Amino acid sequence: MHSRLAYVARNVNSPRRSSKPPSLFSLSTLLFSSTPTAHPQIPPTLEALRRRLAAESPSLSDFVHLQSGSEYSVEVGTKKKPLPKPKWMKESIPGGEKYTQIKRKLRELKLHTVCEEAKCPNLGECWSGGETGTATATIMILGDTCTRGCRFCNVKTSRTPPPPDPNEPSNVAEAIASWGLDYVVITSVDRDDLPDQGSSHFAETVQKLKILKPNMLVEALVPDFRGDAGCVEKVAKSGLEVFAHNIETVEELQREVRDHRANFEQSIDVLMMAKKYAPAGTLTKTSVMLGCGETPDQVLRTMEKVRAAGVDVITFGQYMRPSKRHMPVAEYITPEAFENYRALGMEMLHGIWQGFRYVASGPMVRSSYKAGEFYIKSMIEADRAASLP
Amino acid sequence: MEGVYNYVLSFVLKLYCKPPLPAPPSPSGAHLHWHLHQEEHVCMLFKIVFCCPRISVTFVDKDGDEKHINVPIGMSMLEAAHENDIELEGACEGSLACSTCHVIVMDTEYYNKLEDPTDEENDMLDLAFGLTETSRLGCQVIASPELDGIRLALPAATRNFAVDGYKPKPH
Repeated sequence: MHSRLAYVARNVNSPRRSSKPPSLFSLSTLLFSSTPTAHPQIPPTLEALRRRLAAESPSLSDFVHLQSGSEYSVEVGTKKKPLPKPKWMKESIPGGEKYTQIKRKLRELKLHTVCEEAKCPNLGECWSGGETGTATATIMILGDTCTRGCRFCNVKTSRTPPPPDPNEPSNVAEAIASWGLDYVVITSVDRDDLPDQGSSHFAETVQKLKILKPNMLVEALVPDFRGDAGCVEKVAKSGLEVFAHNIETVEELQREVRDHRANFEQSIDVLMMAKKYAPAGTLTKTSVMLGCGETPDQVLRTMEKVRAAGVDVITFGQYMRPSKRHMPVAEYITPEAFENYRALGMEMLHGIWQGFRYVASGPMVRSSYKAGEFYIKSMIEADRAASLP
Repeated sequence: MEGVYNYVLSFVLKLYCKPPLPAPPSPSGAHLHWHLHQEEHVCMLFKIVFCCPRISVTFVDKDGDEKHINVPIGMSMLEAAHENDIELEGACEGSLACSTCHVIVMDTEYYNKLEDPTDEENDMLDLAFGLTETSRLGCQVIASPELDGIRLALPAATRNFAVDGYKPKPH
């Protein structure tokens, strides 16, 4: 904590620091600092910073109340104490022409989407094209039944799911190529029952798609393959642009929220290995669900660890309970708090690390939600920055 | 076999009862509970008439509140809990891949009547929070006539964190 305080003090006169509003992070360091009179050796510039912060920003007491008050989150109703859902958690029911078109094509080719299997609230928006009119769907390969039973997930579970369809890679490639998308996310279930855990099937799907559409941007949202380096390498080298693997929640809640076979270290290792094996320029990405019972402090620490592992992109979304068979929601995080996390993630100037390449954060944001737009936007911004003299 | 037949029958009846009914006619002789939802009445009527053998099970939640339900023979405690709106998670839908349907059999007598857990069940049970000597996974306890009157306690949480290095005792 003391080193962070020193860091803030060091940067107090830099023009960058003074032009930006202080982040949650710097406020937290000030919260834990002692009173000015107790430390005579603190330079007077810290005083100036405090005065400026007090004038420009929310006061420290606002931060202290952040978690208990309504600014951070909203309580969830239970059977014994029913409460209405917050307004920002409502979504429209899917429908429309594009939606039915996509649905028909999927059934024709016997394909599954995680959108349907996991009951995603954004299904209507993504499949119908939303504001830009470009429909996206996240295809789920290796079947619709997973070998793991994570508490947040609605996908079916079985110890012995049916064997994967050998035609699936070709069917998936054909379907996606026919939709004329620019960016696609392919995900899968966990297949701990297969000898290669489905990694060659996955790699084959990406390769076939790349053959049909070399210019399409492909993101693969992969399982952890139980940390097997060979499997990770196979998928990382298949030609994708973005390698995604979700850590799902903060480090402290991994055993509570995810299946017992998954853990934080293994997931971080997978992300680091992917970065190592994949060709240069491949992005790694991860996703976190908020509202499972974590504290902001835990989220910050997890973000630091994830960034230290070289992950380029992180997304934050609100956990929603698929059915009463699943884990209850702990709290509904406010859109303002989500925005704070996004700002923090982009800045993230702690020690030598840069912030994330991009952060998508909002109650309805999911790992693949508008993934293409964000990717392309961040690439353009990066190219622009690189071309500056 | 009888158990399976009855379970299938009750499942089919439940399906049959799904569509909503128009407003109930004025009561004429039969003493039905009108405060129940319309679908539930007809279901109950069918069940009473067709007489699926059921056992009485009591679920006790972490606050001590009790709920008495009737479970058809052959149905698992997990399914019964879901049918009766009891707060019992079942993340893996009964495929022995999680420990979220952990229940505690309150009387050792009933616990002994149950079949021994399989290795797979034991593996998952070892991960359960608040494990006791009479813990079982709700998806593996199937209703049978000798379990009539069984009381099942729901654990305080379904969390798996080890507090102060707590290690659950092996079965």
